[in-house]
Amino acid sequence: MTDAELTDNGLPAAGGAAETPPPPRTAADRAKASRRAWWREVGWRHIVAVVVSLYAIFPLVFVINMAVDPNAGLASQSLFQNFSLQNFRDLFASRPFGQQLLNTLIVGGVTAIGTVLMGAAAAYAFSRFRFEGRRFTLTFLLVVQMFPQLLAFVAIFLLVQSLGEVFPVLGMNHLSTVIAIYLGGALGVNTFLMYGFFNTVPISLDEAAKLDGATHAQIYWTIILRMVSPVLAVVGLLSFISSFSEFVIARLVLTDPEKWTLAVSLYDLVGNDRNPYWGMFAAGAVISALPVLLLFLFLQRYIVSGLTAGAVKG
Amino acid sequence: MSKQTTVDRAELKRRREATQAHARAWGPGFFVKLILIALVDALGLYGLWMAWQTGSTAIAVIMAVLLAVVNWVYFSKRALPAKYLVPGMIFLLIFQIYVMLNTVFVSFTNYGDRHLGTKEDAIAAIVRNSQLLDLSQPTRDITLLSKGGAYYLAYVNDAGEAVVGGQDQPFAKDDAAQVAGGVVTEVPGYEVKREADFEGMGGSLPTKPVENLKVPLADDPEAGSLKVMATDFAKGQVYKPGVTYDEQTDSLIDNSDLAAGVVIYKANNQTGQFEHNGDRYPRGGGWKVTIGFKNYVKLFTDPSISMTFGKVFLWTVVFAFLSVATTFFFGLLLALAFNSERIRGQKIYRVLMILPYAFPGFMAALLFKNLLNRDYGVINNVILGWIPGFEGIDWLNGSTLMAQFTVIMVNLWLGYPYMFLVCTGALQSIPGDILESARVDGAGPVKRFTKITLPLLFVSVAPLLISSFAFNFNNFNLIYFLTGGGPVPPGGSADDPGGTDIMISMVYKLAGVGENPDYGLATALSIVIFLVVGLIAVYSFRKTRSLEDVM
Amino acid sequence: MKRLAALGILALGLTAGLTACGDKSGGDNGDNGNNGGGGDNGSTVTLTVWVDETRINALQPLVGEYEKSSGVKIKLEQKNFDDIRGDFATQVAAGKGPDITVGANDWMGEFIANNLVQPVDLSGVADQLDKRSVEAYTSGGQTYGVPYALENIGLVRNNKLLAETKATTFDELIAEAKTAGTEHTVLLQVGTEGDGYTAYPLQSSFGAEVFKQDAAGEWTKELGMTGEPGHKFAEYLGKLGTDKVLSQSTTYDIVKATFQDGKAPYAITGPWLVADWKAAGMDVTVLPIPSAGGQTARPFMGVPGFFLSAKSTQKTAAERFMVNFLTSKDTQLALFKTGARVPANLEASADSAVTGDPIVGGFLEAGKDAVLQPSFPEMNQVWKPWGKAESDIINGADPVSTWDKAMTEIEQAIAAG
Repeated sequence: MTDAELTDNGLPAAGGAAETPPPPRTAADRAKASRRAWWREVGWRHIVAVVVSLYAIFPLVFVINMAVDPNAGLASQSLFQNFSLQNFRDLFASRPFGQQLLNTLIVGGVTAIGTVLMGAAAAYAFSRFRFEGRRFTLTFLLVVQMFPQLLAFVAIFLLVQSLGEVFPVLGMNHLSTVIAIYLGGALGVNTFLMYGFFNTVPISLDEAAKLDGATHAQIYWTIILRMVSPVLAVVGLLSFISSFSEFVIARLVLTDPEKWTLAVSLYDLVGNDRNPYWGMFAAGAVISALPVLLLFLFLQRYIVSGLTAGAVKG
Repeated sequence: MSKQTTVDRAELKRRREATQAHARAWGPGFFVKLILIALVDALGLYGLWMAWQTGSTAIAVIMAVLLAVVNWVYFSKRALPAKYLVPGMIFLLIFQIYVMLNTVFVSFTNYGDRHLGTKEDAIAAIVRNSQLLDLSQPTRDITLLSKGGAYYLAYVNDAGEAVVGGQDQPFAKDDAAQVAGGVVTEVPGYEVKREADFEGMGGSLPTKPVENLKVPLADDPEAGSLKVMATDFAKGQVYKPGVTYDEQTDSLIDNSDLAAGVVIYKANNQTGQFEHNGDRYPRGGGWKVTIGFKNYVKLFTDPSISMTFGKVFLWTVVFAFLSVATTFFFGLLLALAFNSERIRGQKIYRVLMILPYAFPGFMAALLFKNLLNRDYGVINNVILGWIPGFEGIDWLNGSTLMAQFTVIMVNLWLGYPYMFLVCTGALQSIPGDILESARVDGAGPVKRFTKITLPLLFVSVAPLLISSFAFNFNNFNLIYFLTGGGPVPPGGSADDPGGTDIMISMVYKLAGVGENPDYGLATALSIVIFLVVGLIAVYSFRKTRSLEDVM
Repeated sequence: MKRLAALGILALGLTAGLTACGDKSGGDNGDNGNNGGGGDNGSTVTLTVWVDETRINALQPLVGEYEKSSGVKIKLEQKNFDDIRGDFATQVAAGKGPDITVGANDWMGEFIANNLVQPVDLSGVADQLDKRSVEAYTSGGQTYGVPYALENIGLVRNNKLLAETKATTFDELIAEAKTAGTEHTVLLQVGTEGDGYTAYPLQSSFGAEVFKQDAAGEWTKELGMTGEPGHKFAEYLGKLGTDKVLSQSTTYDIVKATFQDGKAPYAITGPWLVADWKAAGMDVTVLPIPSAGGQTARPFMGVPGFFLSAKSTQKTAAERFMVNFLTSKDTQLALFKTGARVPANLEASADSAVTGDPIVGGFLEAGKDAVLQPSFPEMNQVWKPWGKAESDIINGADPVSTWDKAMTEIEQAIAAG
C-alpha cells in the first residue's frame, strides 16, 4: 500500500479534520513540534489500531489453528503443533464446497442489491414525503423487526411448502426462496439506517432540483442516492454479511447439499454433538470470511468517500 | 417582499406544471415502468392461475389483492410515497407478517409435544400401531385378488379349503377356486394380482390399498385378521384385534388387552386427546386444538414462570442496553480514530477491525466458551496465568455478576465491527465545513465532538440504535451458545432461569424446546416479550422525533 | 386509458408465455403428486431418506445397487443429526418430511407418543439381528424401526502414558492413573449441565439404576436412583469433585483436547472420540469401566437405527428398503466402516473387519453388561435435573440434599406428564 493510494481515497475526512500547527521558530523546535503534532494527530491512532487489531485477531488465531492443524479442536491450548491443508482438502472432498460458495455469493449478492434498492426507496419515502400514516408505518416497521423469530420455523416451512405449489421457484430447495425470505426483512434495520442518513441530506437540495424541473424519481435516482452512497455501501455490506451467515432459514429450505449456502454447510459440519468436524469447519469459516473481507476492501472507498461533504458546499 | 413571494409562487407553479407534463409524457422512464409492471402483472396472473389450479384459495385471494394494489399505486398520481414503499412492503407482508400472524395463532393452541398433528392423523396412527402381529399363527401363502376396484385375499386354510375374503368381509370357503401346491391360483370372478403389477415393483398399481387391506379370519373380531406382508405380497400374516375408532361416540375402543376387557377412550376435544377416567391413551398422542387464552393465563399464574419474569426482564433490558452502549461507543471510537487520511495502513487496519464480523457468530460464542473455561481455558492459563498467585477466574459459571460482565464483553467483540462500519459511514455525512467553521470560531476538539459531531451522528444512527437494542433483546444465539443461560444457582431446579438468561432464552427453556416442547406456551411468552419490547421501542422512537428535524 | 390498455396487452401476452412454460412443469408436478395415488404407466416410486453427514457417505455408494435391483428411487437427504429429531417431529406432523429417517432408539417413545412413526415388520429378519438391538426398537409388542448398530462408552487408555491396567475398582484406577504423573487422571465430561449418560456406569455400580427394572428386565416407570444407592453415588461424586478428579469445567471439547495432549492416561467416552484420537495417531486401548460402588458398572447401550414415518405414502417400498437393504450385512458393514459402531446384523458383526478391530472389540467388551437406554418419553424429564444435580455436586454442593431435590423434581415432572 502506497501513500498515493491512501490519499487517493477522497477528500480529507470530516471527523478528524487536519490541523496545521502554529509555525515553529527554530529547526529543532520545528522537528519536536512536528513530532508532537504527529503523535497527537496520527501516532495514537496507530496504537489504538494495533491494540484493537490484537483484540480482534486473538480468538481468530484459534480458528486458524483449527483450520491448519487436523488434530486441533475447539478447546486446544497449544497452537500450531502441526501444519497441513488436510482440513481444506477434506472440506472440498466431503461436499460441493465450490458450488456452495457460489450459491452463497448469489444469495448474498442478490439479497444485498435487493435490500439496498427496496430499503433506500422506503427510506426516501419516509425522509422526503410527509404522508398520512407515515409515522405509523415507520413505527410499524420498527416493531415488526423486533418479533422474535426463534419459533417461526414451522410457519416458514409451511409457507414455503404452499408457495412452492403455486410458484415452484419459491418452493423448497430453491435459492430464490431463501432470497425472497431474506428480502422480507429488507425494510428492517437497514431502512432505519438509511432513513437516518437520508435525514442528514439537506432538503434544500431536493427543492433546488424540483425548481429545475426534476421529477421525484429523478431526484431520487440522480441526487439523493448519489449523496448517500456511503450508507448504501454500508447497507449492502451488512445485508451481504447477514445473509452470508444466516443458516436457520436456509437449512430449512435448502435440502440438497448442492443448493446449500456456506452457513448451512458449516453448521452441518458441527451440528452433531458427538462428531463435530471443527477442523473442516474452521477451514470453511476462513474461506467464507474471504469474500466478506474482499467486498469490504472494495467498498471501503465508497464508504469513506466523503461525497456528501463536498456536495453540501455547492 | 410580498411581491417577491408572488413571483416565486408563479415560478414554482410553472415549474410544477412542467414537471407534471414531463411525468405524463411517454418518456423512457415510463416504458421501463410499463414493462416492469407488466412483468409483475404477468407473474401475478400466472400465480393466480396456478393457485386456482392447486386449490390454494388463500394464496389466490392475497395475490389478487396485491396485484390490484400494485397497479393502483403505480398508475395513480396520488400514491406518491407508496410507489417507494410497495416493493419492500410486499415482501414484508408475505414473509414476515404472515409468520407473525401464524405465531399469534399458535399461541392460542396447545401445539406441542403430543399435540402436533390433526385428530385424523392421531386416530389413524393409534389404530394402525395397535394391530399386533399374532406370532402364534402361521404365515399364510396368499393370493391377491381384485374385483370391481377392491382387493381380496385367498389362501388354503388348515382344513385344506380355499377361502376368499375382503375388507370387513370374513374369509369364506370358495369351492370354485383352483389350488395348486397349497396355493390358490385362480378364483372365478376375480383377477389375480402379482407383485409385478404394483408401483415400484415394475407395475403401476398403487400399493396403498394393499397396505390397508385387512381381512377378518372369522365373524368374531377376536379371531384376528389377515394382512399382506409388506416385504412379500405372496405372504399373509395374522394380526390380533387392536383399537378401533367409533365415529358415533367419538371414542377409541381398545380391544388389545383381552384380559383387561374392552377399554373405551373418549375423545376430549377441549384438551385434544383420548381419555379414559382422566388418563390419556398411553400408546399414542393427541392432536392440536385451540385452547383460547389458556397459555397466556398460565404465563401469569404459574409461579415458576411469573416469579422469575421480573428478574429476567430486568437483566434483559440491562444486557441489551449495555450491549448497544459498549459496541456503539467502541465502534465510534474506532471510526473516529481511523477517520483520518494521515495514518498509513488505514485500509488494512479497517479490514482487521471488521474481522470478527466476517466469522459465524455461533462459532465465536463457542470459541469464547472454551477460551474462558475456568480450569482449561487459554485466558486463565496463558494470558493471565503468569500473574503470581492467580487462581483463575470463573468467567462463566461463578458469580452471576461475573458471568454477566463476560457476556457483555464477548458481545462487544461480536458487535463492535457493525457499529464501526455504521459510524464510519455516518461520519462521512457530517459536513466538513461546519466543523471547520467551528474550529475557526475557537471550538476545541472535545467541544467540536460533543457539540457537533455527536448530535449530527445521532440523527443518522438513533433509529439504528433502537433496532440494535431490539436485536440484542432477542440475542438468543449468544446466550445459548456461550452460557446456556447459566450460571443456575446450585440446588435450584434445572429449569430455573440462570444469571445470564434473557427473555428469549427463557422462552426456550420454559417451553422445553428440544425435550417436551410446548410451542403454544412458548409462542405465547414470545408474544408477550414482543409486546414489551415493542412498547419500549415505540416509546424511545417517539423520543427521537426531535432528533429528526435537526437539519 | 391508453396506458392501461397497453399494460393489459403486455401483461396478457406475458402471462400466456408463462403459462405455456408453466403448463409443462405444472404437468410434471401433477404426475409426481399423483404417484401416491397411482399414475398410469410404469410409475417409479421415490423414497426420501434423511441421513446425516457420516451415514450418507456410507449409504450413497450402495443405494445405486438397490435402486437398480428394486426399481425404487432412493433420495438421500443430508441433514444435521442434531436437527433430525425436532425437524422430523414438526414436519411429519404437518404431513411433510421424509419417508424414512436415521435416528436413535431413545427417540422412539417420543415419536410414538406424537403419532410420528409406524411399525416395521421385522419378523422376517429378527433372527439375523442382535437381540438387544431389536428389543431397543420394540414398544408395546410392536417394532418401530430397524436397528443398525450398538454403541456404548468404555474406558479409554493412552498406552503411551500407561501400559497396563490392573485396577478393578474406580478408586484403584485413579491411584493407578496418578502414577502416570500427568495433570489429570480420569477424564469424564461433566459441564455445567452435567452428563448423566457418561457418568451412568459409575452410578449403576452403586445399584442406583435410573428406573427400576421388572422381573423380565424391562424398565418400569418408577425411579430407581432414589434413596440409599443414589445417596451413596452422590456422595462419591462429591468426593471425586473435592479430589479434583472430576470438574464442572470438563466438557466434551476439553476431554477431547486434554486427552489428546497427553494430559491424562484415562478417559471415559464412546467410539466417536476414539475415532478422532486414532486419526490423530494416538495408541489407545478400550477397556471395561471398573466398578466404583461394588456392583457391576453398566453403561447405557444406545442403538442407532432408522424410523418409518407415519405419513409415508409408500409404506410397502419403504418397509422393503428398511428390511431388505438397511438390515443387510453389506449395508451394516459399510455403516460400520464410517461409524465404527458394532453392527446389529449378526453376520456383519462376526465379519473379520469388525472382530479384527481391537478398539471395537474393546467397546464390545466394555458393553457386555450394558443396559438399553430407556426409550419412553418419561426419560426426557430425567436428563436435565439429573445432570444438573451431578454437576452441582461435583462443584461442591451438598450431595444428598441436592440429589434428593433433583429426584423430587423428576418425579413431579413425570407425574405432571
